[in-house]
Amino acid sequence: MSSYLKSIIFAAVVTVICGSLLTLASTGLKEYQLKNIALDKQKNILKSVGLIHDKKPLSPDTIDKIYAENIKQVWVDLSGKIIPEQNKSQDDLPVYLYVIQNHIQSYIIPVDSRGLWGRILGYLSIKNDGTTVSGFTVYSHSETPGLGGEIEKDWFQKNFSGKKILDDRGNFVSVAIAKGLVRDKIHDSRQKNVVDGISGATLTGKFLSAGLKRTLIQYEPLSKKFRNNQIK
Amino acid sequence: MKITRTKAFKVFFTPIWESNPVSGQILGICSALAVTVQLKTAIVMSLALTFVLAFSNLSISLMRNLIPRNIRIIIELTVIATLVIFADQVLKAFLYDISKQLSIFVGLIITNCIILGRAETYALGNPPFLSLLDGIGNGLGYSQILITVAVLREILGAGKLFGFQVIPNAFYVAGYVNMGFMVLAPGAFIAIGLIVWVQKTVSKD
Repeated sequence: MSSYLKSIIFAAVVTVICGSLLTLASTGLKEYQLKNIALDKQKNILKSVGLIHDKKPLSPDTIDKIYAENIKQVWVDLSGKIIPEQNKSQDDLPVYLYVIQNHIQSYIIPVDSRGLWGRILGYLSIKNDGTTVSGFTVYSHSETPGLGGEIEKDWFQKNFSGKKILDDRGNFVSVAIAKGLVRDKIHDSRQKNVVDGISGATLTGKFLSAGLKRTLIQYEPLSKKFRNNQIK
Repeated sequence: MKITRTKAFKVFFTPIWESNPVSGQILGICSALAVTVQLKTAIVMSLALTFVLAFSNLSISLMRNLIPRNIRIIIELTVIATLVIFADQVLKAFLYDISKQLSIFVGLIITNCIILGRAETYALGNPPFLSLLDGIGNGLGYSQILITVAVLREILGAGKLFGFQVIPNAFYVAGYVNMGFMVLAPGAFIAIGLIVWVQKTVSKD
């Protein structure tokens, strides 16, 4: 047997063995991983409305309980009307409500934005006045650790809380990420619509700003209803 | 024969101190800088690397007489990559939060010079049992440095250990401040430099 043929056969055998071992591991562990991902999403939703903090680790059951007590998932149609799960149609958008005693405190919008290297997935929660951001979280991204990857850190996310999606005149402007620090770069009248950027991650900020704007425009009918007190 | 004189003993213990992969051979520095801000991540990373190193050494040593010379690096990398992906999947299933903090650094174990280095220089030419010991020994050598650096950085940088406060509040009241520098990568560089210095000085005698 020529040495080439031997190399090719050996490589093929090793690849098949390694491949099947990995397939086995991946299918075997899938169930646990999906559970973790679902739990992580719940955690991020709770974090975006300030119900839990990163500092205190909680057991999965506690998180489940807090989530079930406070958060309700619903859908909104194009006119901004809230629709319960059973009546939803294909075009409706998912939204989560933070409810205390039948009174909506804030609504949580899933954010799906482009990043520099891949998708950025997270949640943006807005208070029931339809203007004030109460929190922002990221649960999945592929940005560079230490640069764009800082979007998942508390120092970046906590800047969102208290920002507005409307300008002084009440027009929709979304909330954007500055290139640098807000207090140096942004005019006073616009500071409440912008958060501090990450140095070394200008592009991540740019893409995320665009993603937030696009998402918020989609949900604008709902936000308007909250602003006009049509939803309690 | 005394146990300390056996070959197996030497193979296992030399990499832990004398020819430590990190402080002696200055390999695997990248991950040692990245994951040592907290002790918890450092320990999980150490376990993952030791696991990969032990089993890559073992499986490559088992195949060492079969592997065609011209594609040996490809085969080594295939084995290492398989083990790394497996470790990553296990972490994602059972230690999700830590695996998120380690982010790409688990995947980057594939490019850690220690692993390919041990496969090339040791496992290809030695029997399986010794290769396994060599893998575990090198893994522990790496772990030992990582954990030392992480303890230093977490105590000095955050005043904590395993996430629990160890520097009493009275210190902060008296004006003690956490050393923010230790949280950044250059802090790890200095810590590793000091360890290398100490090790070189001690083992000279």
